Amino acid sequence: MKLGDLFRLAISRLGTGKLRTALTMLGVIIGVASVVALVSVGQGATSGINSRLEGLGTNLLSVTPGSTTTGATRGAFGSATTLTIEDATAMSTLPDVAGVAPELASQRLVVAGTLNETTNVIGTTPAYPLVFAYSMWQGSFLTQASVDHSLRVAVLGNTTATTLGLGPSAIGSTVYISGLPFEVVGIMQPKGGVGFQNPDDEVLIPVTTARDLFVGTDSVRTIGVSVASAKQMDTATAEITTLLDQRHGIGAGGTPDFTITSQTQLLSTVGSISTLLTVLLAGIASISLIVGGIGIMNIMLVSVRERTREIGIRKAIGARGRDVMLQFLFEALMLSVSGGLIGIVIGVAASAVIAVLAGWAFTFNPVTVVVSVVFSLIVGVIFGVWPASQAARLDPVVALRYE
Amino acid sequence: MSDPIIHLENVSRVYDTGKVLVPALVDVDLSIGPGEFVAIIGPSGSGKSTMMNILGCLDRPTAGRYVLDGTPVSELDDNGLAALRSRSIGFVFQSYNLLPRTSALENVATPLAYQGVGRRERMERARAALERLGLGDRLHHQPTELSGGQQQRVGIARALVTEPALLLADEPTGNLDSHAGAEVIELFHELHASGRTIVLITHDPDVAAAADRQIHIRDGRIAA
Repeated sequence: MKLGDLFRLAISRLGTGKLRTALTMLGVIIGVASVVALVSVGQGATSGINSRLEGLGTNLLSVTPGSTTTGATRGAFGSATTLTIEDATAMSTLPDVAGVAPELASQRLVVAGTLNETTNVIGTTPAYPLVFAYSMWQGSFLTQASVDHSLRVAVLGNTTATTLGLGPSAIGSTVYISGLPFEVVGIMQPKGGVGFQNPDDEVLIPVTTARDLFVGTDSVRTIGVSVASAKQMDTATAEITTLLDQRHGIGAGGTPDFTITSQTQLLSTVGSISTLLTVLLAGIASISLIVGGIGIMNIMLVSVRERTREIGIRKAIGARGRDVMLQFLFEALMLSVSGGLIGIVIGVAASAVIAVLAGWAFTFNPVTVVVSVVFSLIVGVIFGVWPASQAARLDPVVALRYE
Repeated sequence: MSDPIIHLENVSRVYDTGKVLVPALVDVDLSIGPGEFVAIIGPSGSGKSTMMNILGCLDRPTAGRYVLDGTPVSELDDNGLAALRSRSIGFVFQSYNLLPRTSALENVATPLAYQGVGRRERMERARAALERLGLGDRLHHQPTELSGGQQQRVGIARALVTEPALLLADEPTGNLDSHAGAEVIELFHELHASGRTIVLITHDPDVAAAADRQIHIRDGRIAA
């Protein structure tokens, strides 16, 4: 029997028992739909996390005081006070470094007119927007001159400005930080949150001003370093290590009093966690695909039993075992593959809805679709072969007598 | 006489039930020439169903030699038997055995599909076969929409569509009323007149009387 005839036979057969066909396909539909949806959701979540992490700053290295290991224990984050403004200044001359932004931070009460807020007041340098990927909404950022002369000027994060009721007309007005007057020179664009801390709720002032008025020491909480390109991350890390070792008098084999973390480390950690989750979810979903396959096998076995006489007739009028085998295998494949295709449509639709609700970009992955089709084909073959070979092996004499 | 269509030499068929051996056919010798119309007649349990299965290449003899249309059957495997059935035998069954939920036209065309004949040619030949049997207006009817006599004619059209060397009919009138039965017998006469080789298996002497030659089978042996 020719391939086209087998197809026609399988399609007309599926049309004869529509409810049974639909129920049999349901298992595969649910299996494929959940695999497609979960993989898509997993990828959407991953790319969402990645784009937010990239929002932290491009090619960002964070240098923090304190060692990863000091003897057996490590001090609390930021508790060490070994990094200074001068360290940051020295770093900015390194060849692979594009910008250096130290953070000298303290919590302060900020007052504008009748409104006030206690927020993070950070002393930094003009490189801050480059390093941490901010852009300006109104006015301009801190200038080198304002740092050099310890001017009392402030740039507000977008949330802080909103909280204090300050809009475009606020440029040039005065806010009071711990009672001291500062001129507002700029308001930044909102960046969007990562984690628990809102990056738009902060006030930026020249690092020298922060040292002189609020902190009183040179010790910085962290130094953000923007590396010229992603390829130079490793060399930049090495340069910073060498520089700081030298400045802090740490010899070869000594324990460094600082830690350099790169954004790529964080990215790869998050990436591997979300990949693991995606695989886990897809694995659970594919169990339902296998259950669907067993459903097909069950129905095919029943079908072979019911149609014993038909098989006998077909053999009497010239069907070989192979013809009968292929006829039933094609029916199983038709069930699993059409179930798979319906499942893909439902899965893609579901993941589009989820993407809209979760607010991340909908990613349609053709690989998932191809894999799903291949998988449902395999399910059809695996769970169709046994019933089909049962049919093919029937003795025509016995089959013709079967009532 | 030219080479026989059917030639059996010392053919036996013994069923092994696991406990006892049951002989259904014993040392049967039989030769049927081309163009003959032969009735094999016997009561139930005589071995005529076994005879039908052997002649129709649905079963193999346990001993002896069977040559159908020049092909030694005993040497064939299952695929070889299927190919021989497809090529040389047209079956007509007591209970018609049409494929359910399948139109008359598709039923008649199915044996050609197993021969690998293309769809267009299949449909043409099936239509021609049905028209020859007066069913030109029933091409797209399903078996359940046809009377018993009509179903049996569809069955005969299906048996003839491959132009087989042997038409093998097993109680073809068994499920029909006397009028429809007579029509089928009349049809066999016409086919015989046009040169077909027909073997009719029945328990009914009146039906067997239609054939030129009657072979009586009793207790697995040919009686006369």
